[in-house]
Amino acid sequence: MTKADFSDEMLMRFADGELDADISAEIERAMEVDEELVSRVALFIETRQAAQTAMKPLLDEPLPPELSAAVERMVAERTSEQDGSSARVLPFRRPAANDWRRNRWLAPIAASLAVVVAGIGGYWLRGGAEPALDGGLHIAGISGSVLDDALAAVVTGEERQLPGSNQRFRAIATFRDNAQTLCREFEVDSADRSTVVSVACRTGAAWRVTFAVVAPGADGGYAPASSAETLDAYLAAIDAGPPLEAAEEAEALTQLRQGPSR
Amino acid sequence: MSSAVKDVGERLIAFLPNLRRFAISLCGSRDIADDLVQAACERALAGAERFEAGTRFDAWMFRILRNLWIDHVRRQKTAGVQDDISERQDIAGAHGEREAEARLTLKTVAQAIADLPNEQREVLLLVCVEELSYREAADVLGIPIGTIMSRLARARKNLAEAAGITTTTARSQMMKGADE
Repeated sequence: MTKADFSDEMLMRFADGELDADISAEIERAMEVDEELVSRVALFIETRQAAQTAMKPLLDEPLPPELSAAVERMVAERTSEQDGSSARVLPFRRPAANDWRRNRWLAPIAASLAVVVAGIGGYWLRGGAEPALDGGLHIAGISGSVLDDALAAVVTGEERQLPGSNQRFRAIATFRDNAQTLCREFEVDSADRSTVVSVACRTGAAWRVTFAVVAPGADGGYAPASSAETLDAYLAAIDAGPPLEAAEEAEALTQLRQGPSR
Repeated sequence: MSSAVKDVGERLIAFLPNLRRFAISLCGSRDIADDLVQAACERALAGAERFEAGTRFDAWMFRILRNLWIDHVRRQKTAGVQDDISERQDIAGAHGEREAEARLTLKTVAQAIADLPNEQREVLLLVCVEELSYREAADVLGIPIGTIMSRLARARKNLAEAAGITTTTARSQMMKGADE
């Protein structure tokens, strides 16, 4: 047998003790007369040792006290949970559909909110150019048809200047409530830098605004977090589903624009 | 059931230094490593029933931690965050500084390990540093044992070359082997 018969991998397995006895014995015999083979095997032995030595200091590093404390606490909690009722299985809680905002929704409503405008009955927004007093919805003075158009056209993440005003409409999300009604979350910035955070749901051929909060605007638009918390509480209350994907939203909005009004 | 959690919990605490070392060498950042270790412990405790008595606890933990790391990397990629190379180099440098100058070569080895491609580094760590068998490493990484062997051989060749690890005889011959 010549040295060429032993591949690097085979020699590595030999050095690591991962080779069966027969081939190991063969390599041992060959090593007796082949210095190069010895050297090739030694490479694998030495790299293992060098790696171990080099990584040893990391093992000797003291653990960060916060880490040890966190893990010990975790272990203690789990153990006492189990001891309390050994027959109890504690499945991981699966996030509910409306949990997409749960990180924020329980937060207290901040005092910076100016006005909560929507009542339980909500306001009705009708298409067309009905006079302002004819039951149309007017969020911060926006005419209904303008808002109606924006709700049907602006995709999530985009904004548009509302025609005939200096207000900007921004679509935040589209989702369905627990009755599968299509709803949109949006914000409208006014010239006075206040922002209306709102939800409108589609009922028949009309958008019904079910929630609106006027919040003092932050610089550069976007409602402050406190109004979002109020909104989150509301979304949780109506059991809002997760936001639609872009494609789903596009389909829903297209249907809305094309579909029969009833 | 209670005993499974207790058992895993006890082993976990004893195993923290190794788990953290693996995490640091995997991700190259102590901060991320500590978060990873914590997340892995949480997952292990929640799934304590799934640990099979008689199998290697360390391999089980390495697999949990490494899967968390892979998830993390995927998310970072989607978010467009880059791997922080400079921090990774700091880690190799940090050992060196703490060690005496006489052990300068070790700094080189640590650096060379840090510089290995991820797929080679993780195999090297599991087999050479943590002393898992090829089979156990294959289970941790979810790859065939043949892949373990080819990656491990390449990792060691690269390490030897980068850190200047030479054996006593016939270096030129050995290097010929490395060029194959």
